Amino acid sequence: MAIVTGSRRMRRVEAVLVYLALAALTAAFLFPLVWILGLSLKSRPQIFASPPLYLWWPTLEHYLDVLGRSDFLRAFLNTLIVSTSAVLLSLAVGLPAAYAFARFPFRGRSFLFFSLLVMRMLPPIAVLVPMYVLLNQVGLTTTHLSVVLAYTTFSLPLVVWIMRGFFEDLPRELEECAWIDGATRLVTFWRVVLPLARPGMVAAGILCLQLAWNDFLFAAVLTNNATQTLPVLMAGFSGGDSGVDWGAMTASGMLVILPVIIFSFAAQKHLVAGLSSGAVKG
Amino acid sequence: MSDGTRLARRPFAFAPSPAGRAEAMRGRSLSLDRWFTPLAVLPTFVVMIGIFGLPLLFSLYLSFTGWAPGRDLLGGEFVGLANYEDLLADPVFLGSLGITFGYTAAAVAAQLALGLAIALLLNVDLPHMRAFRTALVLPMMVTPIVGALCWKLLLDPSHGVINHWIGERIVWLGQPGTALAAVWVVNVWHSTPYVALILLAGLRSLPSEPGEAAAIDGASRWQMFRHVTLPLLRPYLLVALLLRTIFEFRAFDNIYAMTGGGPANSTMVLSMFTYLTTFVRFDFSLGAAASWLMLLMAMLICLFFIAVIRRRDAH
Repeated sequence: MAIVTGSRRMRRVEAVLVYLALAALTAAFLFPLVWILGLSLKSRPQIFASPPLYLWWPTLEHYLDVLGRSDFLRAFLNTLIVSTSAVLLSLAVGLPAAYAFARFPFRGRSFLFFSLLVMRMLPPIAVLVPMYVLLNQVGLTTTHLSVVLAYTTFSLPLVVWIMRGFFEDLPRELEECAWIDGATRLVTFWRVVLPLARPGMVAAGILCLQLAWNDFLFAAVLTNNATQTLPVLMAGFSGGDSGVDWGAMTASGMLVILPVIIFSFAAQKHLVAGLSSGAVKG
Repeated sequence: MSDGTRLARRPFAFAPSPAGRAEAMRGRSLSLDRWFTPLAVLPTFVVMIGIFGLPLLFSLYLSFTGWAPGRDLLGGEFVGLANYEDLLADPVFLGSLGITFGYTAAAVAAQLALGLAIALLLNVDLPHMRAFRTALVLPMMVTPIVGALCWKLLLDPSHGVINHWIGERIVWLGQPGTALAAVWVVNVWHSTPYVALILLAGLRSLPSEPGEAAAIDGASRWQMFRHVTLPLLRPYLLVALLLRTIFEFRAFDNIYAMTGGGPANSTMVLSMFTYLTTFVRFDFSLGAAASWLMLLMAMLICLFFIAVIRRRDAH
């Protein structure tokens, strides 16, 4: 009996310690975001107040300012266009391949599959150097298409990798019924498999969208002022001799990360599978 | 061919018996099916060769020539290994090799240690763990360049909150020692949640029997962790280790945003070196050589990664 109460007390002490450790870690990890959110809601004099203000009446002036800027809205639109195009292109091209990898053994299957994984793992700067020269030659740099092609280098392997896992997990029986009824593999894929794999397509699409939305390197090299994406615009806020516009930077930073956080929570269930390229299923 | 034979064949071709029709359809669908797999896989590989394979081959070509913007695509003169020799004689490049490996090792080590601690804490069976998990994974969802720019404001010498709390005006990003440390902290902040999530998925999937058996045998907490949990978690630790190594090896965004490779080249990682060589100094051939050296190193890491995964799949 004494042992039981002792261990119960131990357990309560332990629970408190676990909570304390987690609270400390959460505070440390969230502090930068919370502080920047705070700065974005302060007026200019409040931002530079010394000592820093911990309590103030929040203002939305920087958000209204940023949302009224034409370059921010254009960059937002550019980001949306290039990242969704890259995702749709990758899904259109990659879904049949992922299905073939999941279902039909063929010569060289594992070699081809792992070569896709290797492509996903190579440093993007190595592709960007020659890609820039080649795209420049055909006059495509600074167009949306060049960025879409660049994003496809990482989103297509990711789509194939993730969707293979989803297709493998689908029950075979439905496809076999369709084959027995005389449907071709193509018809079966289109009418039976794809509708079943819709949740997987959404998850893979969101993960690719997130990567494309967050990219800086490709967009920094392959765009100009008219086609730049949000991360490139953001990087421009901190450079130059005019100094950093703290209000615009913090407010636009919050606006840039907000959609990504929403996507990510929507696909949270599949996050682990995606971020480990399918090496570990979440 | 006479009209007679055509008419004679027509009924056969257009009105077969039901069984014959099924047979014909099966035959046709089987011959179509033979082409399904190649046709399904082909577009992906055509696209990947077009946007990945050919550019890399072209960059290999560039690395052996003295190419400059304005020339024809294949108009550079062959210079043999001169670009590679230049690189290996360049103290900045050699320095960036050391910095990249040191930075990668330090970042991955910290991510694994902290990520394992977080995963173990989140795996304790207590209420409200979901809320903690949601809060702790938030940094990894932040756009890397935005995260780095936010940290730059926090570390600002005159208005940053960190200096205010310390009470000194430290120019964090302006001195070689602190700049690399600051970039490292931002990286650990951003990427530890990845490791924590992978390891948490691993902990959740572990069988409970070995732990129960060890508990019955009277193993202490530390012994359980050291001799039961850790060995079972090994495959997940390996995946996290190798993935993070591959992704830190290409580190660029936070360094570009915070230091641009400086001060005094103290944060000059390989990606940054290649970027500056190619797109700021416009030496495309030297940049191509540097990126091919990076590729070879990344490929070695990858092959190791694939070997590990395959061995696991075989089990």
